[in-house]
Formats: sequence, structure tokens, C-alpha cells
Amino acid sequence: MDPEQVDEFVMGYLKKKGFNSAAKQLQEALHHNNGGNFNSTDYHNDPELTKLIRSFSQSENDPTRYRDGYSKLRSWAYNSLDLYKHELLRVMYPLFIHCYMDLVGKGHTQEARSFFNSFRKDHEMVHLRDLQKLEGVLVPSHLEEMEFARSLRQSKVNIKICQYSYDLLLQYLHRTESTLMLGIINEHINFQVYSGQPNSSSDDIDAVTIVGSFQETADHVNQKEIQWGLLEDSLEDRLEKTGSLLTDSEKGQGEKDGDMDDSKKRSSEIGKQGSSIKKLKKDKAGNATAKVARQETSTVSPAPRVKPELALPVMSTDVEESILEDLRNRVQLSSVAMPSVSFYTFVNTHNGLNCASISHDGSLVAGGFSDSSVKIWDMAKIGQAGNGALQSESDTNDQIVGPNGRRNYTLLLGHSGPVYSATFSPPGDFVLSSSADTTIRLWSTQLNANLVCYKGHNYPVWDVQFSPFGHYFASCSHDRTARIWSMDRILPLRIMAGHLSDVDCVQWHPNCNYIATGSSDKTVRLWDVQTGECVRIFIGHRSMVLSLAMSPDGRYMASGDEDGTIMMWDLSTARCITPLMGHNSCVWSLSYSGEGSLLASGSADCTVKLWDVTSSTKSTKAEEKNGNSNRLRSLRTFPTKSTPVHALRFSRRNLLFAAGALSKPAS
Amino acid sequence: MSIVTKETIEVTAQSIGITNLSPEAALMLAPDVEYRVREIMQEAIKCMRHSKRTTLTASDVDGALNLRTLEPTYGFASGGPFRFRKAIGHQDLFYTDDREVDFKDVIEAPLPKAPLDTEVVSHWLAIEGVQPAIPENAPLEVIRAPAENKIYEQKDAPLVDVRLPVKHVLSRELQLYFQKIAELTMSKSNPALFKEALVSLASDSGLHPLVPYFTNFIADEVSRGLNDFRLLFNLMHVVRSLLQNPHINIELYLHQLMPSVVTCLVSRKLGNRFADNHWELRDFTANVVALICKRFGNAYITLQSRLTKTLVNALLDPKKALTQHYGAIQGLTALGHNVVRLLILPNLEPYLSLLGPELDAEKQRNQMKSYEAWRVYGALLRAAGLCIHDRLKIFLKLPSPSPSFLHKGKGKIINAVPRKRKLSADTTENQPPHKRLITADGPDGLQLQNHTGPAPMPVDKPMGNYNLTQNSVQPSSSQQASDGNESESRNAKEKEGGKGRAITRKAILSQIWKDDLDSGRLLVKLQQLYGNRILPFIPSTEMSLFL
Repeated sequence: MDPEQVDEFVMGYLKKKGFNSAAKQLQEALHHNNGGNFNSTDYHNDPELTKLIRSFSQSENDPTRYRDGYSKLRSWAYNSLDLYKHELLRVMYPLFIHCYMDLVGKGHTQEARSFFNSFRKDHEMVHLRDLQKLEGVLVPSHLEEMEFARSLRQSKVNIKICQYSYDLLLQYLHRTESTLMLGIINEHINFQVYSGQPNSSSDDIDAVTIVGSFQETADHVNQKEIQWGLLEDSLEDRLEKTGSLLTDSEKGQGEKDGDMDDSKKRSSEIGKQGSSIKKLKKDKAGNATAKVARQETSTVSPAPRVKPELALPVMSTDVEESILEDLRNRVQLSSVAMPSVSFYTFVNTHNGLNCASISHDGSLVAGGFSDSSVKIWDMAKIGQAGNGALQSESDTNDQIVGPNGRRNYTLLLGHSGPVYSATFSPPGDFVLSSSADTTIRLWSTQLNANLVCYKGHNYPVWDVQFSPFGHYFASCSHDRTARIWSMDRILPLRIMAGHLSDVDCVQWHPNCNYIATGSSDKTVRLWDVQTGECVRIFIGHRSMVLSLAMSPDGRYMASGDEDGTIMMWDLSTARCITPLMGHNSCVWSLSYSGEGSLLASGSADCTVKLWDVTSSTKSTKAEEKNGNSNRLRSLRTFPTKSTPVHALRFSRRNLLFAAGALSKPAS
Repeated sequence: MSIVTKETIEVTAQSIGITNLSPEAALMLAPDVEYRVREIMQEAIKCMRHSKRTTLTASDVDGALNLRTLEPTYGFASGGPFRFRKAIGHQDLFYTDDREVDFKDVIEAPLPKAPLDTEVVSHWLAIEGVQPAIPENAPLEVIRAPAENKIYEQKDAPLVDVRLPVKHVLSRELQLYFQKIAELTMSKSNPALFKEALVSLASDSGLHPLVPYFTNFIADEVSRGLNDFRLLFNLMHVVRSLLQNPHINIELYLHQLMPSVVTCLVSRKLGNRFADNHWELRDFTANVVALICKRFGNAYITLQSRLTKTLVNALLDPKKALTQHYGAIQGLTALGHNVVRLLILPNLEPYLSLLGPELDAEKQRNQMKSYEAWRVYGALLRAAGLCIHDRLKIFLKLPSPSPSFLHKGKGKIINAVPRKRKLSADTTENQPPHKRLITADGPDGLQLQNHTGPAPMPVDKPMGNYNLTQNSVQPSSSQQASDGNESESRNAKEKEGGKGRAITRKAILSQIWKDDLDSGRLLVKLQQLYGNRILPFIPSTEMSLFL
């Protein structure tokens, strides 16, 4: 290239960058040297290069380039071969949002907005919520301020793409000299090119969540080892040991005997699988250990036993007896033996019921209200209509009905903001409630009084859950943390930080060593209680996660989101076994049956659904290699008249309790 | 470009007292305001989700503002969603419907009721996987078979979805219910309980699975029990209750139900005893038929036409028994005035000429036959009368000297204009001899019949005779706008009569006169008001009267 040309490019560059005086000087200097020879420079020595460089020097600041480049690439991608189309289209979304953010970042607000609106439709289906967030970003300062945008800007998106698609894309970009698009792709997309045929389009879960470098972290985190087995020496074990003795003494227990054998078989089966996949402690146990232990510091004998990671309290013998009794009388559920569902309807709530909770035996119902109150109903004593539901739960809780003769509930006042969650301790003698006033309060159902106020969170506490053994509890909040507490300390024992947005729900693993949290960042995480580390990240939900449930055998987890999708996860592999579609509104509540064969889900669409989860897990085991894992099925749908289902719980005897507030149908 | 425009900012600035806001500042602020609003809304949606709601309320926004430690909005937390109205002439400009309230109204209004306290009620949403049909549960659209999925259980078999034939399973409770109702319907011994059962049938939700059983039951029993009057009546009651039940979708079974119902309307013989008041049954059934047509006529256009065709055929077939004619007439009458006008009135003249000999006490020796003929005659009269009455009601809206008078009809003679009174006087003057003649005739017949059977027979006879004679003697100005209820009441009165029959008859006669007077007036009025337009109706009605 001759020097004049170089000079010209330098000129152009200087002009573009606004160094006008420098450009002038240069020009003058050139004029001086060449004496008007400047204009006669031969541009066309290397037209390709010239064009390229000219394009650099001319229009970098031109906002329409983004639109042109994007729309060209878009139409090309839509017209590409069907086989590779979906892979190429996957590239479009990161391109789209980065184009938009570039435009905003350069201050072309108007162009950014029109660009956004013209192509928004393409991505609405999958990324609606992200788009809604980004839509508001209009000035460069917002980009800095908004965490979501920042994380997008700073990170690269991983896109799996097959060799051929990759070649196609690069060829196209080079041929059309879409340097802008090429630049964005280089900057923000990390292609993982693999050889062979492109993946089927359904397998694009990775593409759904574009949350920075998440995928890598997640992959990394998910390598960690977790012990999802159950605790040793559980009550169910003891039940098995003593089973024969007891059944000898009792008449008509033959059937239950059979059940127990069954569960024994299954538990050993689980044990085998577990050890083959993971180094499993010999946590051989039955299915429902989650609900087995129900003890409280108030009732425990002083010597705590050391369980794997947490020091768990010991239950008193009479509580233990009643649980054993319950377990012996448990109805075995399966896809052919459906549970009975007792529904508690809150009436006259005036839209004030924020949450409902049902005690483990179903006899107590707590409601958290937006007027800061917590109300507890003792269903065993209320209305004869309720007896039917409670007959099988002959638990002898001596609960106290409200002191006021007129009211038949216990009113607990203490919070100073809407109550967002309530949870019963396993024996039902304590209630925890969490509120927008950032506190968690412990109430005694025997004294009807507030015992402790736990302050630690900085923002509203969205959810609180007692551990399956009582004493410990977990909470999660708008401050993006989840915390572990024990009843006897007013400060948290652990703080789990890592979610990128509100932590919306929390759930204990049956062995108490882990908690799971669901968040508005559309992920579910599993945390080690002892170390406070994140041990699993589950990516796949397309909207805020609202409810979680752990299978009694500790192997699976179900999570429900705002769109009505329920996902069933394998904890050890952190993979989604299958999404359960069926609800068309928020899934507020999930619950596994005692032996883990059924999953119940309650939703804002006023239905309770039962899902057969044994078939799914079985078939996944069998068909994992065939790739056909979508065998989960909905067994039943129970519509309520007009009651969104807020809470669900399987009692130890496998009676399903559900609760919700009657709402007038929208007219 | 954005939702919040520069103008919005300017207006808002003015409203809070900033007048010197530069346009550049407004332009800068606009996108930022939008961003902040979106941010607040995002938080508000979180609050909404955690309040387990799907409608955003003002309190959620307040909660979001609290999260950002901002002052909440005041004056909006009224509970319940807002009603937004569209500003006229603007595409997407909305405002809340905020009415001005007068202090006086507020002060004078009674204290509002205290809100009801929150309660928890429990019910069974499902029992062993089956939803019980109780009022608390949503009505089931389809009863589904329990999953008898042995196939699914086989672990190693190729997983093929084998659809089992849908098995219709009736819960134990429903079976019991059906049995009870069937027993009650058959037994006829406990009318009070049966009434309760009917109420239950008409109101309970969750009976839908039983409907096919009921239709079957009804069809069977009607075909078998045509001789059992009480049973038929009970069955028709059951039909009516089922029709009334809002939770039942009986449409699907109408085709099974209709034949039985129509049978009860136009069958030759209903009940085997002479005492059985099958007329009443026919009347009742006619109403049921009308109810069906009213409810499903729109969905099944052919329903009514097919029905009327059946009935008209029955009516116009001279070989059919008079009882059948009666049923057909009643059925048509119940279907409405238009049907009467279109189908009965044109056929009235030939039919009456056919009926004439039967009516004539001289020619028709068989008392039974004659009675039936009179019944039919009465029904026809009622049909025509109701039709006319209906017409009159329609015309009422037009200016007329005494509309209230017209409207109220019977028993308002006090208001009658002198001319009318004179007219009535005329009639009374003219009538006595004939009447007496008939009443003298009457007792014999009555006594005769008293032996064979009790009841309503005598009633109509004198009435009919009375009309007959009156018509023959005085072919002017009076018309009998006979009314079913009226004759019913007369029936009752007559029955009570016993020994003091003469007195009662007198009372009846005076009643009839009143009616006559009334209807006469109506007709006169009609002619006065409408002249020729009413003529298409009048000849036939007059025919019925003045034969």
C-alpha cells in the first residue's frame, strides 16, 4: 500500500475520532509535501481492503448499522437450511440484546428503542422476562446500574454449535463484511463447536438462560459431590426392625406388613443405585424419613446425637411412638391407589391471605395475612365437617383454641408488615412466620405467644421452613441470601449468598445436610448446610421459581415456577429429568407423598394435580440411554370451585391436605 | 419513543410547581423515569407473587416502594382492583373511575356492615382419587374412569399407551341416591318426602352422572306405567326438576326424554281409573314441554317445529280420541300465543264444527264423551282467549281510555263506563230465562254423574251449557275470555258445593257474568280501538263463542 493511502486512512481515522485539529494539521502537512497531489491518490489498488478500512473509518458511529447488520443476519438465518436453522437462530438472541445495549450505551436511545421493538417478537417466546427487564434500559447509566445488564455485558454466552453451522455463520459474516456483527460475536459469544450432526432443537435448555458466565460456574459447581442419602438409624429403619413384633401383637396388620416389605425392598434398591452413582454412606432407609423425625428442643432429652453434619435433636419416646404408629398406618399410594384430598378453604379473607401452612398431621392450619397477623386454626376442633378429614390423623396434640370465645382461631400479632410465610415445627408445637418487616418470629402454639424475634435479613423475608427434624430452620429473602438458623440463637448460623436475584423459596433436604433455594434469577441452587457452599445449580426454569419439594428418598427435587412449569431434577447429576407441563399459572406449592411415588402440585389456576413420579424415575433409569425421558404423566386434576391452592401437605399417613383462599372469580 | 414522553414530564413538573423546566431536562428525565417506573413494577410483581396473587394491587406497589425506601402512595389502597376507563378519543389513555361523592350521601348512608371474619372450612376435594360430587367441589364435566393402568405397571413391556375403554363408574353415594329417588317416585306413599327429593333434584350439583340413568328410568316407567296415573305424574315432576337443575346438562339426553314426555301429553289413556285426573297431568306436562322448548329451542331449532307438528297432527286427526286432542291443544297453548295464533286459530272453525255434535247434549248420549268434548272445548277457548288477551296486552301501550282497566281485566267492574254497565245489564236481562233452563237441566245430569264418579265433571258442563245457550240466544257483544285458573277455581268451588249446590251455582254464575261482562268489554274495546286489524282474530273467537 502506498504511503498516500496510509495517510488517507490516518486522516479518516482522525476525523472519525474527532481529532479535527490533528487532522487539519496532517492535511496541511500533506499538502505541503505533495502539493495538491493528495486527490490523485489511487484508491483502487486494493479495493477490498480499501472498502473494509473505509467502512471502519466512516460509519462506526452510525446507529443504523446495527439494525441493518442484524436484520440481514436475521433474514439469512431464517432462510438457512432447516437442519441448522435452530442453531443459527440461537445466536440471534445474544446478538440482539448486545446490539440493543450497544445502541443504548452509545446514547442512541431512539434508535435503540425502535430496534428493540422491531425484533422483540422473535425472542419473546423464550426470553420474555429478560426482555421486559431490558426494555426499561434507555440511557447508558442504566446499563451500569442494572445488574442484569452488567452481567450480560461482562460475560460471554456459551453456545453449542455444530461444525457446519459454525462454518456457515463465519462464511456469511465474512462474505457480507458484517464486521459489526462479527465484533459482537467475538466479544460476547463463546462458541463450543462440536463435530457431527446438529442437536435436536428441543435440547436447547442452555440457550434459555443467558446469565453471564453462569453456565461455567454451574458446570463447575455441579461437579461437586453430594450425599443425597438419608440419615442412618431413621425411624423407618426402626419400624422395620420392630415391625414384626408389633404386627404380631396387632390384628389385621397383614396388609401393612406387606407394605413394609415393599418399602424395604425399595429402600435397598435405592441404596444400590446410590452407591453405584455416588459414594453413598450406608444410609439405608425407607421412603419417608423426611417426615419421620418430629421433635423439638422443648421435648427432647438432653443428649443430642451427632448426625452427619448437623447436631440434631432427639425426639421423645412418645412422639416417636406416635410417628411409628402413623407410619405403620400409612396408606401405600401409587398411580392406581390415589390419595384422599382434604381441602381447607379460607373464606372472607378480603384478598388478605398471603400464605397458608398446614401442620404435619393436618390438624393445624396457619394463615399469614397482609395485615401483619398470623392466624392459626385448630381443624381438629372446628366444625364437624372437618372431622372426616382428621379422623385418620388421631394425633393427640393438645392445642388451644383461641382465647376469645367468639373467634375460633388463634390470632398472633407481632409483625409489622405483611406476613409472607409460615411453617409448623414437625410436632406442631411451634410456628415460624416471616414478614416484610425483615424479621422472623417464633410462636408457640401452646402458649399462643411470640417467643423469639429473629433479625438478620435486611429486606422482606419471603420464605421460612423448619427442618424435617425441627430446631433448625432456613429462611430466604429479597436481600438475595438464604440463611440457616437454630431456634436458640437469634443470629443466623450460616448465610448462603450467590443468587443473582431474590431468593423466593427454600426447602430442606430430608437428611438435613442441604437446603435448596429457588430464586427470581430462574435457577435453583442446592447448598451444603455445614459449609454454606453452593453445591448444585439447576438451570432450566424460564421464570421465577416459586415452590420446591424434595422427594422423601432424597434423590429428586421438584420445583415449580411462575409459568406453571414443574421441573423434576436429579440431585446427583443436576439434570432435569423432565418438565411437567399442565398448570397454566403459578405453581404455589408442591408436595411428595410419603413414599415418594406421587407428586402433588397446587396452582393459581385453581387446581390440584397429581403426578406419577415413579413411572418417570423408573423409565428414566431404563431409558436414559434411549433419550426418551419424557414419561412423567399427570394422573389426576382436581379443580376447586374458585380457590387458588396455596399450600399442600401429605400427612405421614399419606392423606393430602390442601389449603387456599376462596377468591371471587374475576368478572 | 418511550412510554414516558417529554410532555408527560413537563406536565408532571408543572403539577408539582416547577414551571421553568427546560425541554432538555425533560428529554433527559423521560427515559430515566421510565426506567424507575419499570423497576418499581418489577419489585411490585415480586410482592404480588409472594402474596400469592395474580392481580397487581396498589398495596404491592406500596410494598415495592418500601423496598426502595420510598414514600408509599397514599389513597389508593382501597382493596380490590381499580376500574379503569378509557378516555374517549384517545387510543390508550386511561383514567380511574373516581366519582365525586356527596358528603350528605356519606353521612346519611347507613353504617356499612362489619366485614365477616376469616374462617376456614374443610371439605373433601377427593376421596381416594375421585372427586365427590358435593356442592363445594367444582361440577365435573366428565366423569373419568379411575386409572386401571396395569399396563403402565409392567416395567419391561414396551411403553405403549393403551387406551382402555372409558368405563363409567358411579360412586356408591350416587347409586344410593338414584335408588332412593326411584323408590320414592314409584311408591307414591310419601308425598312430603317426594317433594324434598324433587327440590334436591332441582338444585344439587353433581347429579350429572345420574342423568342417563334417570332418563332411562323415566322412559321405562312411562312405557310400562301408562295405567298408573300417580306414577306418571311423579315421573313428570322428576323431569321438571331435572330440567330446573342448573348443574345438569340434560341436553344430551333430550332425545330420550322427549318421547316419554310427549306420551304423557297426548296419550289416549293415562291412568286406568275413572277418578284419575289425567287432565291435570296433561296440563302439567304441557308446561314441562314448554319449559323444554324455552330452554333448548334456541340450540335445537327443529325441536319446537317437530313438537308442534306432532301435536297438530294429533289435533287434526279426527280419529284420535278427544283426550288426545285435549293434550295437543294444551301443549300448543303452553308453547305460547304465537303458536296458538298460527296453528290453532286457523283450524278453529273446522275443528269446532267437528266438535259441535259431541258438544250437543241431545246428540251425544254418552256422558263421558260429552264431558270430554266440553273439556276440549274449554281448552280451545282458553287457548284462543289467552291469545286474544296477549294481543290486548300488546296494544295496551297505545293510548286508550282506561288502560289500567284493560290490563287488570277481571273484577274491576266498578270502573266500568256507563255504557258498559248498560251492556251488562242487557246481558243479565236477557240471560236469566235460559240460564234457569239450563240449571234446571243441570241437576239431573249432576246427580247422575255423582254416582259414577265424583269430581270436576259437573263443573264444566253447566259452564259449557251456559255458554252455548247464551251464544245461541244472544249473538252479540259478549265473549268468554276463559281462563284455566278460573275454571279451576270454579271447579274447586263446585266440588265443595255438595248440598248447597244451588247457592254455589249462583255464586258461580255471578262470577261468570262478571267474566262475561269483562270479556265482552274487551272485545268491544278491541273493535273500538282496532277495527279491521283485529278482524282476523275475531271471527274465529266469535266462532268459538257464538256457535
